[in-house]
Amino acid sequence: MTSLTALSPHETHSAKVGRVLYFVLLVAIMISMSYVISGQLFKFAVMALSAYVAPEGATAVAEASKLMSSMTVVHNGLAVVLTIVLTIIVVRKFINTGHVHRMAFLHRMVLYLALIVGVVVVLFPFFWMLCTAFKPSGQELVISKTNPFDIVPSEPTLDNFRRVLKIDAASKAMAAVDAIEQKKNFGTFFLNSLLVATTAAFMVTFFAAMGAYVFSKKQLPYKQQIFMLLLATMMIPGMMFMVPQFFMVCKMGLFGTKWAMFLPHLASVFGIFMLKQFMDTIPDSLIEAAQIDGASEWQVFRVVIVPLAFPIILTLFLLTFLFHWSNFLWQLIVTNFENPLSITLPVGLALFRGQYTSELGLIMSASCFSIVPIAVLFLFAQRYFIAGMTQGAVKE
Amino acid sequence: MAVTSSKDTAISFGFLSPFLLFFGVFLIFPIFYSFYLSFFGSPTDYSLANLDFVGLKNYFRIATDVQFWWSLGVTALYGILSIPLGITASLALALLLDNKLFGKSFFRSAFFLPNVLDMLVVGVIWTLIYAPRYGALAQVTTWLFSEDNFFNTTGLLGSPMTALLAVVIAMVLKGAGFGMVLFLAALQNIPEAVYEAADIDGATEWQKFKHITVPLLRPIIFFMVITGIIASLNAFTEIYAMTAGGPQVVIAGETVGSTSVAGYYLFKQFDAGNYGYAAAISYMLLIITLGITWLQQWLLNRGSAPEVKK
Repeated sequence: MTSLTALSPHETHSAKVGRVLYFVLLVAIMISMSYVISGQLFKFAVMALSAYVAPEGATAVAEASKLMSSMTVVHNGLAVVLTIVLTIIVVRKFINTGHVHRMAFLHRMVLYLALIVGVVVVLFPFFWMLCTAFKPSGQELVISKTNPFDIVPSEPTLDNFRRVLKIDAASKAMAAVDAIEQKKNFGTFFLNSLLVATTAAFMVTFFAAMGAYVFSKKQLPYKQQIFMLLLATMMIPGMMFMVPQFFMVCKMGLFGTKWAMFLPHLASVFGIFMLKQFMDTIPDSLIEAAQIDGASEWQVFRVVIVPLAFPIILTLFLLTFLFHWSNFLWQLIVTNFENPLSITLPVGLALFRGQYTSELGLIMSASCFSIVPIAVLFLFAQRYFIAGMTQGAVKE
Repeated sequence: MAVTSSKDTAISFGFLSPFLLFFGVFLIFPIFYSFYLSFFGSPTDYSLANLDFVGLKNYFRIATDVQFWWSLGVTALYGILSIPLGITASLALALLLDNKLFGKSFFRSAFFLPNVLDMLVVGVIWTLIYAPRYGALAQVTTWLFSEDNFFNTTGLLGSPMTALLAVVIAMVLKGAGFGMVLFLAALQNIPEAVYEAADIDGATEWQKFKHITVPLLRPIIFFMVITGIIASLNAFTEIYAMTAGGPQVVIAGETVGSTSVAGYYLFKQFDAGNYGYAAAISYMLLIITLGITWLQQWLLNRGSAPEVKK
């Protein structure tokens, strides 16, 4: 019986000391991680604020830098306070935990530390992107030699954002000379992407909802066969359609227009499949009740089906929006680069990267236009994103 | 409901017609149109009107095209690297999260977030992280070791040996949260009683993992293998953003791109104006995909694969 031997006094004593040493080690790791991570996050907030309030012009960087150094106490202080509070909580919990449960407590600490390391690894690229976007031109490469963990710039500027939006002084001067070149900015690209993705998402969801309603609730000859045909096309890799769809779009005279960006992707088999799964759970009696009340076919769809299936319709809307927001390959091949009004965000970024290969700050601030809105959208609608994207796997 | 009448059919058809129109025009017709195009060469003047008929020449060309077969090999390697790594990473995250935790939903969302972000942008960011001399990785290794280290001089994307692996690591970190959510849902469905029974039988943690957890997760693993294969065949944006097919290596007198996957090679041919040849390559890829699908079905029917959850 192993549990009995563990209770002998000698065993208990050395095990106790071992556990305390282990705890001290974990707390040391925790303190350094907490200080570095929270310090960087607080510093980032201070940095963004300083860059924002500093006036535009030659002295902007110096101003922002001065402001930041005056606030060093604030972000460092916040990080220290947070770390101390965290340490006190953890130490008190450890002391209050009975000896028998201490090993489990330590395991949980390791678990949390591992998870935080995981989050840092997965999200680091995006934090680095945000930081680099604020670095002045020519200084993107310089990381503090004394502390490479300090990646938030101490001399921040908004110049990169001004330049990708072409609202800095030099671009404004160019505007009078070359109006088309002036329009090739990330404000235009952003609006184009927004327009393309929103229009496409509306149309796809609308068509898919009507189609799924038929497959779920209506009579149609060869309904099952048609549905199987739809599902079969999902097996074909998307690359396969690139060449013929490109020819078709060109023959229709749509090359370089916004229509070309989404027209070939309006029939979403995945959408039909997802909505049908959900509509199958709506009881037929609700439809019959509406019909007895004299509802027309369209009214049944509008008043019964759409409101009941609304969460899943919203999910499909968001996923389609996302698909068209990042539909790089297709948008690249149908873009006419002479016409800035047809350039979308991913294509604009690819174009931009070709022009300013070594200007990290510019490329990173341009990347923000694609990443930040989606990240914010995800914050508010993560439930729909996660449920929708993982749906296909659980229901086959 | 009433027996099918012509009126019902008309109404159904009315509801379905917008979808069917786009489905027929942009998904069914292209399958045949692509086959037709695969018998033509390049346009002489970029007008798309003057494609010359070349018969089966494109298909003969594929048979002897070292670059094409090489790109298939790279695609297979990409799948072999990314699928097991992706499954391991997401399973590890799921096992960590499958505990009573404070802030569980925060961790879940944080790991999932990169999945919704644009692949091109993620690729660009990682390129700059890997970049020699000024990249984040080069800076840290320079600080840790010396200036004369591999990450600073060549960079992970600069060597043909490591470039593909570097792309895979970036994509695994981007996609791990997706598999994690799937695994987590499946883990939470495993009844506690199964583990308790194993405890009584004296099973170790590893035995429980190997003989209970993994077999019960097999439907998810199977699903991730299938989606991983499709993703490898469709891989394009990550390669475009991170390596542009390079770095180049010379194999048997032929210069090939060490990360030139099939999707990227198809794009290169298309971009060079070889439309007919690109269509023929598409067809080859379709046949390969159908072959893999058939193989999967065969494996499923042999009963070795688990039942997919209803």
